Amino acid sequence: MVNDKSAVVERANTRFGWFRAYAAGVPLLAWLLGALVAVLLEQTAGDVLAAILGLPKVPVLFGCMIMLKEPTLIPSALIFVALIYGAPILLLGKVLARPGNWVAARLMSWPIAVPVILHLVVLYAIMYFWSDVSLYRMLTLRLTLIAIMLTLSLNLINGYMGEFSCSHPGFMALGAYAASTVMVGLFVNDRLFGEALLPAFLGPFMFPVALVIGGVVAALGALLIAIPSFKTRGDYLAIISLAFLFIVKSMFENLQFLGGARGIKGQPDYADLPTVFCWTVLCIWIINNFVRSTLGKALNAVRDDEMAAEAMTVNTRFTKMVAFLFAAFWAGIAGGLFAHTVRFINPGTFDLKRLAELLAMVYFGGLNSVYGSIVGAVSINLLGEMLRPLALYKWIVIPLLLILVMIYRPTGLVAFKEFNVRKLVQPKRKPEEEV
Amino acid sequence: MRKGLLLVVLILVVGLALSPCAWAKAKTIKVGINAPITGDIPKVGEGSKYAAEMWLEDIKAAGGLEVGGEKYMVEVIVEDNESKPESAAKAATKLITEDEVLAIVGPQASSQAIPAGEMANNYGTPMISPWSTNPDTTKDRPFVFRGCFLDPFQGPVVANFIKDEFGFQKAAVLYDIASDYPKGLAEVFKEAWEKLNGAGSVVAFESFTTKDADFSSQLTNIINSGAQFLFTPQYYNEVALIVQQAQELGFKGPIVGSDSWGSAETVKLCGEACYGLFFSTHYAAAGATGATKEFIERYEKKYGYTPDDVGALTWDALRIVQTAIESTGKLTGDLEKDRMAVKDALANIKEFDGITGKMTFTPDGDPIKCAVIVRISEKGEFEFYKSACP
Repeated sequence: MVNDKSAVVERANTRFGWFRAYAAGVPLLAWLLGALVAVLLEQTAGDVLAAILGLPKVPVLFGCMIMLKEPTLIPSALIFVALIYGAPILLLGKVLARPGNWVAARLMSWPIAVPVILHLVVLYAIMYFWSDVSLYRMLTLRLTLIAIMLTLSLNLINGYMGEFSCSHPGFMALGAYAASTVMVGLFVNDRLFGEALLPAFLGPFMFPVALVIGGVVAALGALLIAIPSFKTRGDYLAIISLAFLFIVKSMFENLQFLGGARGIKGQPDYADLPTVFCWTVLCIWIINNFVRSTLGKALNAVRDDEMAAEAMTVNTRFTKMVAFLFAAFWAGIAGGLFAHTVRFINPGTFDLKRLAELLAMVYFGGLNSVYGSIVGAVSINLLGEMLRPLALYKWIVIPLLLILVMIYRPTGLVAFKEFNVRKLVQPKRKPEEEV
Repeated sequence: MRKGLLLVVLILVVGLALSPCAWAKAKTIKVGINAPITGDIPKVGEGSKYAAEMWLEDIKAAGGLEVGGEKYMVEVIVEDNESKPESAAKAATKLITEDEVLAIVGPQASSQAIPAGEMANNYGTPMISPWSTNPDTTKDRPFVFRGCFLDPFQGPVVANFIKDEFGFQKAAVLYDIASDYPKGLAEVFKEAWEKLNGAGSVVAFESFTTKDADFSSQLTNIINSGAQFLFTPQYYNEVALIVQQAQELGFKGPIVGSDSWGSAETVKLCGEACYGLFFSTHYAAAGATGATKEFIERYEKKYGYTPDDVGALTWDALRIVQTAIESTGKLTGDLEKDRMAVKDALANIKEFDGITGKMTFTPDGDPIKCAVIVRISEKGEFEFYKSACP
């Protein structure tokens, strides 16, 4: 296993050797600034460049859609992407490496929160300017961020805890329905819940509360299933959690005061980009801290050998319970955000298809890894959109990719990799300078 | 490395020079189709796509769409919504902001039409859902219209028809509680029937869940309740199972359905068991006349099967969009203004003569149109039997 892994890494090193050599010593800050310039460039000069290159519009998702739809435009789209994204990021990243490193080094003398927040602000700016170009990008981005939360929380159970849970869409549904009920019931004149009870200006303040209520409801649901099911392991837990998913779905189908099969519509539009971004960052931060804590390490111990962990004084039942409820809580929050992004939910949204999608994102990205969850959620979501012009064939290409990943990297693309924020934001030195 | 880069640049330059279409920009009107090409109901998506293809053919044959004395080329963009709500919203947003369509036809099912309608209404793009029956789709959304009648109209039509035709007293209903359309219609029908025959006249009100395949316990209850007929507003795959199982269990009365029966697959799956049964729908394929007949024959010739109601309704929706665009009088080229003009034109359409009947939109964007009672003939065709108007 170890040998295998190092061989893979070595191969990757030689294959992308030129890029690694080029990128060595460039800190994250420099890349981010490069990307910021790229998106600003797209916003100011994108239309002009697209017109010059004969593209009908600014390519919305890195030119992929245009290329698949009209092969004759492939050169123009490639040039566009190279000029707008490739060149600024690669060149500026390199140029800014030295000042970037200097700034990063200065920042490191502050508490870690300062450089992290600065990086996040730049990252948010990139996302903001990128999605500002088109509403479609904005919607895709918001749903992708929500998918990251879902994938990460599912990874907590399936990756870190090593159980196979199928009830995640159920938790999502609990969160989505709870948050929607609170928000629609309080702030919207609606067929289901009648007149708005509170004035609209309180809405944005109430929204986080509603989301947390959604999370708590999902966690309570998780408690219900955890008590009986943690007496079992492996396949049995998978079956019980699957049953839970069906129970939740048919519960909402039969609860007439929640709209039954017709669902709830008209959630107020509070899940905008800053809100979703903040919640996603919060989710990654807290879950990352959780898995790096003693409890998180205990969770890994339980996964590797429950008996041995028990013998080493790990309270396995407590550990598993906490992790399960914690994952359900974040799935509930993500469900609430999802409901307020799509602004319509019905029980059919949280079915086996959703489960398959979530599992695909977790296993594609990589088990037991925050990076993996981000990579999985982003790539499956973006691929799903970028391959739209392929229509039916999209459902051949994406599963094929999944199969290939499972064959060549059985635990996913970026599995078992620790997400170390300090390492991420610190200045990068060239290997030879490092002594 | 360097050689490779040079080659790529060379290829790009040559490719760029060889793409002449990249430089020409013609005046085109774009119409988006938001349909479930993949997912639970691919047949519905296929029907919508085929109807759109035929419509485009007609427009091409006429040399384009004429607005205010100027001919415009028309482009139809079909976008898959995977029969998922969030995907429908994404598809609608993509059509609106990326493809810059003038109007959208679809999505068909309500669970996709509601979120997509939200986007269309927010971003000021007219949208017609040919098939969605949930009132929420068009409610308080001036930009969203629909092409079919609603459940509160269809339920009483069926109830009245059975009362007049058979004079029955006791009804049984079997429906899918997990699916929004059958459940809504079952409730409306129950209400209408009890209004006609007094409380308690629906002697069995049984439900099941999507993808159930064995209905024997519900059907046994229905038979034991002494119901004279069974109303089941289900989709084609379930209709076949329900009808066959009911007859095997010895249910003698007629089984009546709603417009969800109106698919070519119903008879294919159900076979002789379904012959002689009635259902209410938007149009009858067999014995149709005029434009309806012409449409059906063309569709059959091109795609090899009789179009179901989705195809016909999508066709009508596209024709309505066409009429609305033509009646704007002039396209300014400013998309926002044009979309507004098309929306106003849609709202003002009076007595539109479609293949599924004449329609006029209410201020909510719902059409006022007639329903048809269809009998499945001994040849397995959908025969016109009666029509019922509001």
